[in-house]
Amino acid sequence: MFGDWHQLWVIISTPDNIPIVAMLGLVPFFTWFAFHNMLANDRLIAQLEADPELARTHHRTTYPYSSRWERELHTNPFLMRKELLAAIIITIILMVWALTLNAPLEEPANASVTMNPAKAPWYFLGLQEMLEYFDPWIAGVIVPTLIIVGLMAIPYIDANPLGNGYYTYHQRRHAVWTFLIGFEAIWLVLVCIGTFIRGPGFMWYWPTQTWDPDRVEFNVNRNLDQIFGVDGHWFSHILPASWHLDPAIVARALFGIIPMLVYGVLAALFIHWICKRTAYSRKIYSKMSILQTVTMYIFLITMLFVPVTIFLRLVFRIKYIWETPWFSI
Amino acid sequence: MPELQPDDPIKSRSYANVILIAIFILLLCVSWSFYQEFIGLRPWRSYQSRFATSYSAYLQKQVRDRQAQEKTVESSADYQKLSAALQQAEATATPQDQQIKVQSDLVDAQRAAILHAFQEDRSRVGSLIYDYETIPNDAANRSDKQSGLKAVQEAEKKTYSIDWPEEGGKTVTKTFNYDQLNNTFNQLLDEKAQLTAKQGDIDKPVKDAQTAMAALIANKLPGLDADQLNGLLKSVRDMDVSLIQINVNPPGTQINDIGGVGLTDRCQSCHVGMEPKYVPAALTLTKADLGLQKSTDAPFTSHPDQDLFNWHPLDQFGCSPCHGGNGRALDSVELAHGRYEHWVWPLYYPENYQAGCQQCHSADAWTEHAPVLNEAKVLYRDRGCIGCHNYAGFDNQGEQLQETIREIASLEKEKADDNQQIPLLNKQGDQAPDNATAQRLYAQATNLTVSVSKIDGRVQQLDELSHSLQQEVKRVGPDLKEVRMKLNPEWIPYWLGHTWNFDPTAQMPQFRLQPDEVQAISAFIWQQGLKGPALDKQTPGDAAHGKELFNSLGCLACHSIGEGSQKIGGDIADNLSREGEKANYNYIVRWIHNPRVRTEPYCPFEHKDIGPEDYAKHNLPYVFDADHSKCPNDGHELVVQQQTIMPDFRLSWQEARDIASFLMTQKDASARYEPASFVNNAKLYDKGRTLVEHYGCAGCHEISGLEDASKIGTDLTQEGSKPIGRFDFALLYTKAQEGVLPDGQKSRAGGWYDPKGFFDAKLADPAVFDEGKYKPDPLDRLRMPKPNVTPEQINALTSFLLGSTQSTLPPSYQYAPTDQRKAIQEGWWIVTKYNCIGCHQIDIGQKTVLMGLPQYQGDNAINLPPVLTSEGARVNPEWLKGFLANPALSTTDTDRDGVRSYLKVRMPTFFLSDDEIRKLVLFFGALSSQQQPFIPEKLAPLTDTERALARGIFTSPAAPCLKCHATGNANHDKNATAPNFLLAGQRLRAPWTERWITEPATIIPGTAMPSGLFVQQNGRWVFNGALPAAAKNYAGDEANLLVRYLMELTPQEQAALAGSTPSAAKSGSSSVKK
Repeated sequence: MFGDWHQLWVIISTPDNIPIVAMLGLVPFFTWFAFHNMLANDRLIAQLEADPELARTHHRTTYPYSSRWERELHTNPFLMRKELLAAIIITIILMVWALTLNAPLEEPANASVTMNPAKAPWYFLGLQEMLEYFDPWIAGVIVPTLIIVGLMAIPYIDANPLGNGYYTYHQRRHAVWTFLIGFEAIWLVLVCIGTFIRGPGFMWYWPTQTWDPDRVEFNVNRNLDQIFGVDGHWFSHILPASWHLDPAIVARALFGIIPMLVYGVLAALFIHWICKRTAYSRKIYSKMSILQTVTMYIFLITMLFVPVTIFLRLVFRIKYIWETPWFSI
Repeated sequence: MPELQPDDPIKSRSYANVILIAIFILLLCVSWSFYQEFIGLRPWRSYQSRFATSYSAYLQKQVRDRQAQEKTVESSADYQKLSAALQQAEATATPQDQQIKVQSDLVDAQRAAILHAFQEDRSRVGSLIYDYETIPNDAANRSDKQSGLKAVQEAEKKTYSIDWPEEGGKTVTKTFNYDQLNNTFNQLLDEKAQLTAKQGDIDKPVKDAQTAMAALIANKLPGLDADQLNGLLKSVRDMDVSLIQINVNPPGTQINDIGGVGLTDRCQSCHVGMEPKYVPAALTLTKADLGLQKSTDAPFTSHPDQDLFNWHPLDQFGCSPCHGGNGRALDSVELAHGRYEHWVWPLYYPENYQAGCQQCHSADAWTEHAPVLNEAKVLYRDRGCIGCHNYAGFDNQGEQLQETIREIASLEKEKADDNQQIPLLNKQGDQAPDNATAQRLYAQATNLTVSVSKIDGRVQQLDELSHSLQQEVKRVGPDLKEVRMKLNPEWIPYWLGHTWNFDPTAQMPQFRLQPDEVQAISAFIWQQGLKGPALDKQTPGDAAHGKELFNSLGCLACHSIGEGSQKIGGDIADNLSREGEKANYNYIVRWIHNPRVRTEPYCPFEHKDIGPEDYAKHNLPYVFDADHSKCPNDGHELVVQQQTIMPDFRLSWQEARDIASFLMTQKDASARYEPASFVNNAKLYDKGRTLVEHYGCAGCHEISGLEDASKIGTDLTQEGSKPIGRFDFALLYTKAQEGVLPDGQKSRAGGWYDPKGFFDAKLADPAVFDEGKYKPDPLDRLRMPKPNVTPEQINALTSFLLGSTQSTLPPSYQYAPTDQRKAIQEGWWIVTKYNCIGCHQIDIGQKTVLMGLPQYQGDNAINLPPVLTSEGARVNPEWLKGFLANPALSTTDTDRDGVRSYLKVRMPTFFLSDDEIRKLVLFFGALSSQQQPFIPEKLAPLTDTERALARGIFTSPAAPCLKCHATGNANHDKNATAPNFLLAGQRLRAPWTERWITEPATIIPGTAMPSGLFVQQNGRWVFNGALPAAAKNYAGDEANLLVRYLMELTPQEQAALAGSTPSAAKSGSSSVKK
C-alpha cells in the first residue's frame, strides 16, 4: 500500500534516524559548497597562471584583491573568533538535540524474540546493507578491511603535489570523483537505503509504502552460473575418478573466475582510460611507481565492484557472480 | 604592526554582533535545560503542589466539620455529665497537686544547690582513687602507695559549705563531706521519684475522666479527631515537594528488573493520595472530596481498597508488581504508566486491574477482593475453555489420571517381564555348572518375586488414587456416547449449526461449521453412540408436581428456565426451556433419578466400553458404581459414573418421572426440525471423525474412541507474557495499530495492538483473525469457536489471561500458603467446581443464585439452604465427612435431607471422592480458623437438678424450642423450620452452639432463630424468661447448661417433652404465615 504518509513520518521522526535525515540536506549542501569554493579557486588559479605579476603579489584567498592588505594575519583573533562562533553554534545544536530527543532506548533484550526489522545503528547501516549483496565474510570482514587499508594507503599512493590546503577541482579531479563515488554515491546511499527503504524482514519498501511484518514477497535470486546453466555435467567426464570434490562445485568455482576476470580487465581499462585522458593526469600518473599504480588499480577496481554488484542484484536478481565453497562474490 | 587596513574584509569585519547573538541563544538553551531539569522533566512537582493546595482545603473543611461535630457531642447530656465529673475530680486534686509542687520545687532547689559540689568532689575523689589503685603494691612503691591512700582519705574528709534551701524560703549554710554529698544526692533523687508517683496517683481520677470524655467522642465520632486532622494539615502545609519512593530488593527479585535492581516505585510522587504519610488509611480520598471531579489528570485519590494493604504492605509490594507500569519513570504520564511500545509490563487498564492478582494467585480458584478474576475462573471452566486450553493447575485431575494410568500400565508390563524371568532363572539355576552360580541364580529369582510383590503394592495404591481421580474428573459437556438414548437425531444438526438460536445462554460455543460439516459430525456422533442395552420404559408422570419439585428442589441453582427477561436460575448448566424438543423421556427420567448412572462403564486400559458380556465372561453380575468400580477383565478402575457435576437428588422414580414430564412440556411449539436421515449414513463417518478431532469436541464431551484425546488449543498458563509479535493479528495488524476495530469502527481506546486488544477481539469473535485470509479448505481456518460470553465476561477473561504470566516476581511473593490458608485455597477449587455457591453462602457477602430467585424473596428467605460462613465452627468435622458422603444420613431412607428435612430445597449427593471430602472438611475448618486435627470438647455431665432446670428452659414458653425444631414425628415436622435436636450430639460443637443460642443474629444475620433468649448478667448468660423458683439458686451459665442438655438429648426425652411444649402445629403454622 503506497501513499502511507504516516509510515514515512514514523521513519523520519524516529530519533535514531535524525542524523540521516539531517544528512539528506547537509551532504548536498556541503558538496555544493565545496564545489563552489573549488571552482572559485580554480578561476583564481587560472587568473594567476595567466598573470605572473599578479601571482607574485596576490595573497590569501579569492577575495577581491587589494595590494594594501596584509599578506598574513594572526591566528588570534582572526581565526579564533570564527572557531569560537562555530563552537558556540555546535553547542547550541547539540543542546537542542539533547533536550528535544531522548536516547532511543528499547526493552530489555529477549533472546527468544528478535525485533523486526533488526537494524544496526545508523553509522553501521551501510555495512548491514552490504550483507544483502555479499556473503558475510566478504561484506563483514573483507570489504571493511579494504576500506580502512585503502584509506590508509591514500597518502602513499597520492603522487599529486598540488591541491593541499585549498579547495580545487581541476588539480584534484580524480580524488574528488573517487570521494564522490566511493563515499557519497556508494556508502551514503547504502546508509539511506538501510534507513528509509528497508522494512520488516529487511524487505524493500518504497517510501510511503506501509511496513507490514506479514508481507510475503516472491524474490528468487540466482547465481550467474545458474543462469548460464553450469552444472558441471560435462566436467565430470574430464575429472579423474580419484577426484573427491563435487564436479558441480568445481565447475561453478571455475566458471565464476571468467566474469570476475572480464570485470577486472574492463574496470582496469576504464581506469586506465581515465588516467590517460588529460595531459595533467598523464603527467601525475607517470610519476607513480608500479607498486603505487597497482595498489591504486586494485582498490579502485574493488570499489567500483560494489555498485556493479548492487546493480546486478537489484535489477537482474543475480545473487553471486562467483560462488565457491569458501567465499562468494 | 603596520598601518591598519580598514577595508581588509577579514580584519575589518566585526563578529561582535554574531557572537553576542550566538551567546544569547546559548544562554537561552542553558535556561531551557535548567527548566527541563527542575520542572519540565519533573511533572510530579506540580502534581504535589496542586495536591497540597486542594488537600489542605479539604482538610481545613474536615477540621471545621469535625470541630462542629465535636461541639455537638460536647453539648450532649452524657458528655456534660463526664465534664462535671472531670471538674469535680480536678477540684479534689488541685490543692494536693499544689502541695506536692511546693515539695517538688524544694527538692529541685536542693539538688541544684549541691549539684556543682557533688560533681566536682566525685570527679576529684574518683581520680585520686584511680591514681592510688594504679600504684604497684610492692616494696619499692610502698611509700607512694601509702601517700596515695592518704590523699584519698583527705579528699573524702574535705567539706564543702553550701547554701542549703529549706522550707519556707529560708536558706541555711551547711557543710558536707564526700559521703554526705553522695547520700544527700541519692536521697533527693528518691524523694523526687516518690513525689512524682504520688502526683500520678492524685491525678489519676482526672486523667480517667479525660479519657472517658475522649472515648465518648471517639465512640460517637469515629475517624480522625480534630487534633489529628490538624496535625495532618500541618504536615501537608509543610510538605517538602520531593520524590516519594518505595524501594524493595527481595531476594531473587525480577520485578521490573533491569540489571538485577529490585523494585523501585515512585508512583506516589504524583499519586500523593496513596502516600499513607499524608492520607492515612482512616481517610479515604475521592476526586469529589478534592473538588476535582472534572479534572482528568489529578491522580490524587487514595487507594479504593485499603484492606488489600493488610496482606500486601505498600512498603513490600509497592505498586507496579500488581498494577504494571514503569515504577521508576517520572518524566511523563505515558512513560510512568509504561504505555509505550518498549515497556514490557504496561499499566493494566482499570477494567483489568485484577489481572495483577492473578500473577501471584494463579493457584486460587477464589481470590477474595477479586470478583472479576473469580468470575473469569468460573467461566474458564464452565464455558469449556478448559476443554481445549490447558492451564497449569486448573482442574488437572484428567492429566493426573492419565499419568496414573500410564504408570499402572508400565508397572504391569514390568511385572509381566519379571514373571517371565523368574522361571527362566530357576531353570538356569537347575542347569548351573556349580553350586555358587546356582545359588546366585536362585537368589535373583527370589529377589524378582519380592519386587513383583512390591509392584503389586504400588499398583494397588495407584488404583486407589485413580479411583479418587475417576470420581473427580468432570467434563463440561454431556456424554455423547448416549446420544442415541437421549436425543432426537433431528435436533443434533440444528443444535450444531444454530447453537445459540436454540439456547441463547448455551454454555456450548458456536462453531463455524459448513452444512456438510454439520451433517458429517452429526452422523459420526450418532453412529458412535452406544446402541444398548435399552432403557427402561417409563410411564408418564405428573408434570404439575414435577414443576413444583423443579422450582423448589434447588435445580435452579445451576439450571435456568424461561427465555429472555423471563429467564431465572443459574448459568452453570443448560437452560431447560426447550428440553422437550430434544430429549427422550425415558432417558431424562433415568438422568433425574441419578445423573451419574452410565449405560456402560468405560475401561481406560482396554480403551473400550465394558458391556454385560465382559462381566458374564468372569461370572460377575452386571453391576458398576462407586463401590463396584473394578474392571472384570483387568481389575483396574473403570469409569463407572457420568463425568458430570450434576448431583443425585435421591428422588424416587415417581418424582423423577414427574420432573421429567414437566421438562418434556418445555418446548417451543412452533419449532420444526428437518429430517436427519443422514445421521445413519456410514459414508459420513470418517469425515465426521476427522472434524470431531479437528474441532476438539472430545475436550468437553465424552465420545467413544476419543476418550484420551488431548487438548487441541494453546496452553494459556503464561499467555499474558507472550511477546506481542507472537499474537497473530493477521490482516488486522495495521488496523490494530491505528485503532480501527475489526468491525471498521474507530476504537475509543485508541490502538489495540497489545495482548489486551488481542484477547478482547479474539473472545468477542475468533473468526475476525481469519478475515480476508485465503483459506479455501475450511479445516485451515482458525478452529476456535465463538464463546457465549457478554462484554463483561470477555473483560473478566481478558483480565484472567493478562495476569497469566511467567511471573517476574520472586517466588516468595507467589501465594502458596502452607498453613490453614492452603486448605482454603484447595477447598475453593471444589466449591466452585460443584457450584456449592449456587445454593450456599460460604464467603461473607457472597450472593447465591437461589437468593435471587422470586420464590425466596422476603420472608421466604427462610426456605433458603443454610448459610455456611461458620460451618467449620458449627459442626463436628467427623460428622461433616459422613454428611458430605451421604447427605441423607441414612442408607435406607434416602429420599430426604438428613439435617433439614423440613426444607423443600435438598442437599444432593455429589459422589465426592474421599480426597474431595477431606479437602472440603479441612476447608470449612480453616475458614472458621478451627484447629486441626479436631479434638471434641469435653462436656460436664448434667446433674439431676441441672437436667430439671435445662428441661425447664427447653420447654419454657419464652423459648419454645420444639415449636420450630423438627422432632422426627411427621405430624409435628410439617411445620418445622429448624433441624432436629437429636442430631446435635454428633453434629454440633458446643462452643458454637452456645454462641448460636445466645446471639444467633451475629452469626447469620436475618436468621429465624430468635435472639435475646439469654441475657448477660455478671459475666454469665441467664435465661430471659420465667423459670421455676429453684432455678434462682443456679450459679452456672444457663446457656451452657442448655447446650449440654441438647448434646445429650435422647429420643425418649424429646418425645416426652414434645407434648409439654406449646402446641407445635398451631403456633408453628402461625409463625410461617407471618
